[in-house]
Amino acid sequence: MIVKVNNEEVRIFKGASVKHALLRYILRIKADVSNIEKLQVKDCKGHQIDQDAPLKEGDSITVKL
Amino acid sequence: MKRLLYLFVILSFIAAGCSQKKGNNYIRASYKTDIHIVSGNDIHGAIENMPMLAAAVDSLRAIDKSLLVLSAGDNRTGNPLNDLYTIPAFPMVALMNYIGFDASTFGNHEFDSEQPLLSKLINLSNFPYICANVFPDTELGIQNIPYKFFDVKGVKVCILGVIQLGIQGIPDSNPDHLKGIRFEGVEETINKYLYLRDQCDVFILLSHIGYEDDCAMAEKFPQFDLIVGGHTHTQIEGGELHNGVLITQNVNKLQRVTHTILTVENGKVTGKRAENIEISSSKNKNPFVAQIVEKFSDNPELKRVLAVATAPFSTYEELGLLMCDALKEMTHSEIGFTNMGGVRYDTHPKGDFTVDDVLRLDPFGNGVVIMELTPKEIEDMLIACFYADRNRFPYTSGIKCDVEYTANAKNEPEKVVKLTLTTDDGKPLDPNKKYKVAGNAYAVTVSDSPREDEGREFGSISSDLLIKFLTEKKQINYSGRRCLTEHIVK
Repeated sequence: MIVKVNNEEVRIFKGASVKHALLRYILRIKADVSNIEKLQVKDCKGHQIDQDAPLKEGDSITVKL
Repeated sequence: MKRLLYLFVILSFIAAGCSQKKGNNYIRASYKTDIHIVSGNDIHGAIENMPMLAAAVDSLRAIDKSLLVLSAGDNRTGNPLNDLYTIPAFPMVALMNYIGFDASTFGNHEFDSEQPLLSKLINLSNFPYICANVFPDTELGIQNIPYKFFDVKGVKVCILGVIQLGIQGIPDSNPDHLKGIRFEGVEETINKYLYLRDQCDVFILLSHIGYEDDCAMAEKFPQFDLIVGGHTHTQIEGGELHNGVLITQNVNKLQRVTHTILTVENGKVTGKRAENIEISSSKNKNPFVAQIVEKFSDNPELKRVLAVATAPFSTYEELGLLMCDALKEMTHSEIGFTNMGGVRYDTHPKGDFTVDDVLRLDPFGNGVVIMELTPKEIEDMLIACFYADRNRFPYTSGIKCDVEYTANAKNEPEKVVKLTLTTDDGKPLDPNKKYKVAGNAYAVTVSDSPREDEGREFGSISSDLLIKFLTEKKQINYSGRRCLTEHIVK
């Protein structure tokens, strides 16, 4: 499935959680993954969501690195 | 006559003051009162936070002993102390019983329990599972109800429950655990039960469908006063009004719960407000619940012997191969793989292999992903995993890997220059075939390489599959077994 992280498309397995999309995005942009679990993630409406939150096709999340 | 008139006035007052159903002529409550609700969602086995939740509930019950305590589902999955208890997930049910939950809906993770265990858990619960779009075959013994009326200080509260369905029309869980259960669409289900609106003062949807769908349901069904939501772990500050319907939800594992107050006047909700209560960071604990949690944390199940190792394990590779065999066999795949960093110790003595040994070997609670891949896609994925896992090549089952690297200044592998994959009996892989590959979700995620099939979540965590694998095998011997040959080329 395809989701968006910081407006960039990320292809990921069906049933992935926020943490998986985030990890793939961060590795792709070659940013630091060491503190990944502390990153604050928001959904497309600006609500905080935790990293175990499930994702579905087309979801869009943002994270401040 | 005066006496009769007096009696009539008293009876009229009682009839008007209490909500009750008389055939189809439902008489609504005629006084003003506040209904207090505490709701959590996606607790995911966080038994460690139940003492703080109990303290918060105690405080609110001191204000209003008619407090309703609700869970919007996913009470289990996420904590081995809960999920691997002798009766899996029983600690959470026992603690919810003690705290006095009034109802839960099913979350998709309730179905992570195998069906006989889910049936047992429901029987052990002192609260009902309210879920109107789940229809288990009678012989499964899974008991849920579509809705329930609660009399709260004379106000009639009706709670209707629903669970999310994925694109295949079933909740996101292990499909094997969903056999014999029929599911109906959420909207269709709600339509069917809208008549309940006329039979109550307060109409609540206890939902495990996610924030976005909660908003959509609020737009379509303003008949609800409140939607207590779950599934997407969305932190709503207090509550949000959508089309006049108040929606609440919190992030997972009882970091917070919501305290909602509905003011009911003359049988109608005239005021709605909600606030979040911090739970996981609270210092207030119910000491008795803390003692129960302590008891559950000393889990005898962790010492259970799953299998006997007839020879010691002496390398990461031997233990990695064991993990890959479990991934491959328990998902009926042809190939299993795991990143080397996912194997957390390198030796294990001859003798008992316990649940605790599994959880130390594979402590991350990683899901499992199944993919259909060509040999070229497998090669690319394994190489991508090598680079993402600090230049350590992953372990595999069902295929053997012969890999050549160039070296860095410390003579450590730097760049893969050649990778040869063969079947266990030394034959090359068929380039025209797609192989069913199972990997842990972390390894699959970091292995960012081109492939047509990104895969799908299998519905179990990798340590659970290893526990099942060892239980089936009873005896294991991985001494000297190899899946990986590595060469440094000059």
